Amino acid sequence: MNSTEDLMEKWAVQLRKGTLELAILAALQQRTLYGLELLKLLQSLPSTTITEGTLYPLLDRLKRDELVDAQWVQEGETRPRKYYQLTPLGNKKLTDLTRLWRQSVSDIEWLLANPGPQPLPNTGV
Amino acid sequence: MSQSELHNNEMIHRYLNDLRRYLARLTPHESQEVIREIESHLFDVLDQQADAGQPADVEKILQGFGEPRQLAALYVAHIEEGAPPPRGFRAIQSVKKSVTTSLYFAMAVFGFSMALSLLFVAGAKFLLPEAVGVWSAANGNSIVVGFVAAPPAGMPEVLGWWIVPVATLLALGVTLLTRRVLRVLKQHM
Repeated sequence: MNSTEDLMEKWAVQLRKGTLELAILAALQQRTLYGLELLKLLQSLPSTTITEGTLYPLLDRLKRDELVDAQWVQEGETRPRKYYQLTPLGNKKLTDLTRLWRQSVSDIEWLLANPGPQPLPNTGV
Repeated sequence: MSQSELHNNEMIHRYLNDLRRYLARLTPHESQEVIREIESHLFDVLDQQADAGQPADVEKILQGFGEPRQLAALYVAHIEEGAPPPRGFRAIQSVKKSVTTSLYFAMAVFGFSMALSLLFVAGAKFLLPEAVGVWSAANGNSIVVGFVAAPPAGMPEVLGWWIVPVATLLALGVTLLTRRVLRVLKQHM
């Protein structure tokens, strides 16, 4: 039982790692957020939960890759916060990753919806 | 400021100081930017916990960031991998590139002028047969090659009219070799 849970956990970690960049770009879609807001948004969803120590270095990398840019904003009495938004390049990458993601989901859904033993019409398998 | 608030601030400062130390490979501006953002995050969370009437749990928040050394490693990783270099490094790359370019042209000038001189020697033999040749001295231990005002006294001429095909072939060889070297250099430009 334990090893099955282990495997599930490993798979979940891999999946989260692979989709994290897409999750962050999607979270910033037409929205400007600072780190803590972004963290809370991602932590509010079961499959995108990440830690502070993952989020901030990743934001730093996305900024270096010019997919997001950031500026410090101070509103009224609050302390300054660093707000992130997508650049045109980030928007383009989001579009590309979204297409890839949807393709992957629909492919897997198709496989799940077409079990054996009936032969498949279009592949001859 | 209460006792526990003092304690929390001290923990945060210690964490940020450690982090700053491990971020030493970034520029001071980059490092300050990282520290400032994390500091802002930490105090934001503390404020929110206070507003919600919860006890401040600095330790737990810091746990989310991980050990300062490990966190810093993620910020510094791109420097160690030598992946996309920071902007300032482009200047250095272009200096390196222009060295290769000048080497390329120096090689071209050297090689082709050598070939041209050899062809010139071959051609000059027809015009001034007495003044062009290869003379041997001291039983072949030393030679005089080329174009002289007067044939060196007491030295036998070695090639005679053979200097024409020999110089032409040498010119051809040097030209081919130069083109080869240039092609290799070009690939590294």
